[in-house]
Amino acid sequence: MKTRTVRAFALKEFVDLYRSRMIVMVYLLPVMILVLFGYGIRMEVTHARVMIIDNDHSKFSKELVAKFEHSKYYNPSVVQIPEKEALRSIKQAKTDALIIIPSSFEKRLLHGQKSEIGVFVDGSFPTRATTIEGYIQGTILDAASEVSARMGMKPKGMITLNQRTLFNQAMRDEDAVVPGLIGLILLVAPAILSALLIVKEKEKGTIFNFYASPLSKAEFLAAKLIPVFALHSLNIFLLFLLAVYLFDVPFRGSFMLYWLSSELYILISLSIGLLVSVITRRQVVAVVLTVIITVIPGFLYSGILMPISSMQGESYIEAHLFPVMYYNHILYDTFLIGQGLASEKIVLYLGILVVFFLFYFAAGTLWLKKEMR
Amino acid sequence: MRPFLITFGKELLIFLRSVMLVLVVLYSFTVDVYVAGQGVEMKPRNVTVGYVDKTGGGISQKILSRLHMPEFKPPKAFLSQKALSEAIFNKEIRVGLVFDRDFAVDYRKGRPAQLDVLLDATVASQSLITLIYLKNIVLDFTDLAMPLQIKTHKLFNQNADTHQFMALSELLSVITLLVVILAAVVFVKEKEDGTWDIMLLMPVSPKVTILAKSLSQVFIVMIGTVIAVGWVLMGAFDVPINGSFWAFVLLTFFYSFSSAGIGLFVAAVSKDVMQVAQLSIIIMMPLIFLSGAWTPIYAMHPILQKLSLLSPLRYYIEGTQSIFFRGTDFVDLWPYFGGVIVLGALLYLYGFRKIGRLF
Repeated sequence: MKTRTVRAFALKEFVDLYRSRMIVMVYLLPVMILVLFGYGIRMEVTHARVMIIDNDHSKFSKELVAKFEHSKYYNPSVVQIPEKEALRSIKQAKTDALIIIPSSFEKRLLHGQKSEIGVFVDGSFPTRATTIEGYIQGTILDAASEVSARMGMKPKGMITLNQRTLFNQAMRDEDAVVPGLIGLILLVAPAILSALLIVKEKEKGTIFNFYASPLSKAEFLAAKLIPVFALHSLNIFLLFLLAVYLFDVPFRGSFMLYWLSSELYILISLSIGLLVSVITRRQVVAVVLTVIITVIPGFLYSGILMPISSMQGESYIEAHLFPVMYYNHILYDTFLIGQGLASEKIVLYLGILVVFFLFYFAAGTLWLKKEMR
Repeated sequence: MRPFLITFGKELLIFLRSVMLVLVVLYSFTVDVYVAGQGVEMKPRNVTVGYVDKTGGGISQKILSRLHMPEFKPPKAFLSQKALSEAIFNKEIRVGLVFDRDFAVDYRKGRPAQLDVLLDATVASQSLITLIYLKNIVLDFTDLAMPLQIKTHKLFNQNADTHQFMALSELLSVITLLVVILAAVVFVKEKEDGTWDIMLLMPVSPKVTILAKSLSQVFIVMIGTVIAVGWVLMGAFDVPINGSFWAFVLLTFFYSFSSAGIGLFVAAVSKDVMQVAQLSIIIMMPLIFLSGAWTPIYAMHPILQKLSLLSPLRYYIEGTQSIFFRGTDFVDLWPYFGGVIVLGALLYLYGFRKIGRLF
């Protein structure tokens, strides 16, 4: 390998990136994705717009309404409208849930007769619906047990949950989302850049310079990929700083492990870009293809939205075919848990990542032709 | 009209000739939407449960028997709390329940009994829902001494099926992304290939050229949308369409103008496809963020709430959900149509003039 030639070519790529203002994008894009999604994804539901129809106007019903008013989870409004109109308001997406307190609610309860509170939740956003439903049930039952305790009706068999959440004590969405986002960004961004650097030459026809030059395949790849690798290596630190200082995500593991595994992961991403550039000839196709094959697994099989163990059938197998899941396991460990190399699983996953890299890179290199097609 | 049709047809032909591009677009409208819908399930499923039971059975076994498939895997017994925590650290167990001796005694005597729960919260959303599940199970064992009943209904989607929701959301993102990128690339391609000057020399008014070029891409995406809705959404996921299908098509049509407008703007300022790719992502991200697709708008910061009125995607997503799931009447859809049309017109006009200056 002629280092001088490679250096000259790599320098050309740097200058090219700099001139086309791409260098800004290389850093702006990851930062933007992390900041927007880090702040943007909220699983916790607060301020749910709850509409309460109180048909009873008794002490009980008012107490129940007050319970809702004093919670940060709801934005309740007490209204006197027919049920049909309330349902229409849900259809117009102005209300998330409707609670109907029946008439003679208090009287029936005091006489020991059955009384039924109706709760209607807008199910068009399923997770939010389940969460809101759970909150409302909890709030009503809470109010009920309070009232009955005060009236001397001792509830029997009260069980309270004393929950201790591990690794993410406050159940902050940031802690759960931000490390996963790093795994997404470092998969997508280097892949797009490396794919475009090669396909651009193909589409413009300047690839013939390479075909005709005495440059070997390995040297060409080195010249193309080293700049991308170097530029994105900086992102590893940039994203780390943002996660720890902007989002206050704790970092409990070893920084070396985080750094090295991230570099390895960038190499995998580069190889994916290389593979894409081998099979495409147009830049549009390269961009769309890279985005599709990296963003979807980066999001779905990353453990951001759902743990891999909860998947079933095909998606469980698919998740294991992408490198995201292994890297994210290491990421979440370094950020939230901190077992490091002491855990056998992490060593195994690091090994799997190495295999991924070797496989992708070898395939990309083998298929890249140094001749006219 | 004739020049328009010819340019329109030419662009379609160019699209069809690039086999790879056709395949990629088809892939995004079918397989991609399918994978997204199939993959995500936010309800707890196969949650691994471990427990330490020092009460000698009774109430603890009754609670454990309520944790069943498919939400929970059969609970695994551990001898000590230490062994249980270790398993949680290795991610073998996600939920740990500790029944200590006091628990059984308190429960039998009718005092409030405390059940210790250890929860792996690395996936916050699922942990939250799992916790709600547990709370409800435990509440069932509580005798309230009050004949109160709560009857809940989830409207429009009884089982809270996330597959349908995710597939629909993915389709909307695919539509947005493809319109922007395709509309931008039609122009930038000419710049890159050096055929821009030839295009200028054509005896066709620039306005017609721009209109025909961008509309041809909108047309391609509309066809893809129909395929995706008919084949993937309805075929594979049985997504209900409680509203009118034509309302959705119309909404998509108007919406694609705002995306195409962004595409035109991107085309005007970028020199090559590489810049198109990055610019469109940089512009689309905030729009997606402000659309309420991730965070409900009413839970945002007040300033962001105002800003979100500027995101055409906001009206599109909410409108589409209303059409598919809520089955909102056509009359009540006017805010969505209004927003999409006004923003679409503004954005398209802006992009149109921006690229028109290059002619």
